[in-house]
Amino acid sequence: MELINSIFNLLFGSDPELRRIIAVTLQMSFFSTFLSAMIGIPAGVLLGANEFRGKTFISRLVNTMLGLPPVVAGLIVLLLLSRSGPLGSLNLLYTIQAMVIAQVLLITPYITAMTSNLVGVNASVINETLAGIGIRGTKRLKYFLLDFRVPFLTIILAGFGRSIAEVGAVQMVGGNIQFKTRVMTTAIMMQTNMGRFDFAIALGIILLLISFLINSVVNRVQKVAADD
Amino acid sequence: MIELKDILVKTKGRVILDVPSLIFKNGKRYGIIGENGSGKTTLLRVLMGTLQPSQGSIEGLKLNNNVGYLPQSPYAFSFSVIRNVSMTLENLQNRDEVAISALEKVGLGSLIEAKGNNLSGGEKQRLGLARVLAVPKEVLLLDEPTSATDIRGMDLIEALLQQWFEQTRGLLIFTTHAPAQALRLADEIIFLEKGRVVETGTPEILFNNPQKLETQAFLSHWSI
Repeated sequence: MELINSIFNLLFGSDPELRRIIAVTLQMSFFSTFLSAMIGIPAGVLLGANEFRGKTFISRLVNTMLGLPPVVAGLIVLLLLSRSGPLGSLNLLYTIQAMVIAQVLLITPYITAMTSNLVGVNASVINETLAGIGIRGTKRLKYFLLDFRVPFLTIILAGFGRSIAEVGAVQMVGGNIQFKTRVMTTAIMMQTNMGRFDFAIALGIILLLISFLINSVVNRVQKVAADD
Repeated sequence: MIELKDILVKTKGRVILDVPSLIFKNGKRYGIIGENGSGKTTLLRVLMGTLQPSQGSIEGLKLNNNVGYLPQSPYAFSFSVIRNVSMTLENLQNRDEVAISALEKVGLGSLIEAKGNNLSGGEKQRLGLARVLAVPKEVLLLDEPTSATDIRGMDLIEALLQQWFEQTRGLLIFTTHAPAQALRLADEIIFLEKGRVVETGTPEILFNNPQKLETQAFLSHWSI
């Protein structure tokens, strides 16, 4: 009972740490998903819609990146951003930006691969149809983006889901610093290790609520886009 | 005039199309007939530039907005039917009017707000034709333009193609499984088998007096 009371107090109270954790989590997830989508969707369309020398190799590379363990992505970014690393002068390590970079490394291949597979199924008939009405080259990109706008939202949503649930990479490059880089997943892990199950469960519930809310919004947007 | 010279298309070592020489003259309608896998679609794709031949060249064909191509299963985009047509008319002020007019001609005037991807196969073919004909064309390349339509749709498309030809005196090249359609629409028939041109000629000569055994065998399956 005490545990439930504690969870309710956290959920409906105004715990400053909890608020900051939610804010950092959303900030990180939105930016990393946005950047990954900006890179991954055009890249996926180009990969899926075109036949070119080296396509199989690039597809294989992207698919290999799908299996990149988050801690390895974290390690790569950590080495790049550490003081002795090539980007050390930027002083980004243990910041939200570093967490976003690590997540972009993880999510972009996922969005690229999903987009490429989706577009590739109908690419040849779309290309033929567009060629038949004089639309060739880069002008085709616009129609691929318009035609697949609804499934693209689902892909972006899946990317967001990956981002918000990721823990290994953000722990490594963010450092789980209180009021600065602590996000829900790293906080849940830490609070569980410390035996503060009420805080961990409250965070878990909030994580699920945010996912549900974002799913609902995206579903609504998808419906509007499909009806457009 | 379009001239194909020494066109060879190979896939995985297999010859798909082998056309040493073929000429299409402006102001004529050509019907390409042949069985499945005879190279009809490949020939149109080579003409349209969506398939690069292993060797050979095409002279006299500039792939610009004067050339329209309708694939056998044209893609209908997931936006409205009217937008599926007006996408070709971006520079026009009255693009919606032009698109509606083109859609009415193919009998889709009542479906302008429907989603393109919800149309039936035959409706998609008619939509595809409306999209191609919305902008005036001098050359039309049509891959089995009525393969998915019902009889009414077929009559509509054939009438539209006749009308287009009478108005433009352009060059029409179409493929069909049905020799009867080639007889109705074409000035000249090209019979393909296994990627090679077996026989060409006017419908009267080719259907009444085919010279080659392969043509006779193909036409024997049809009562025209």
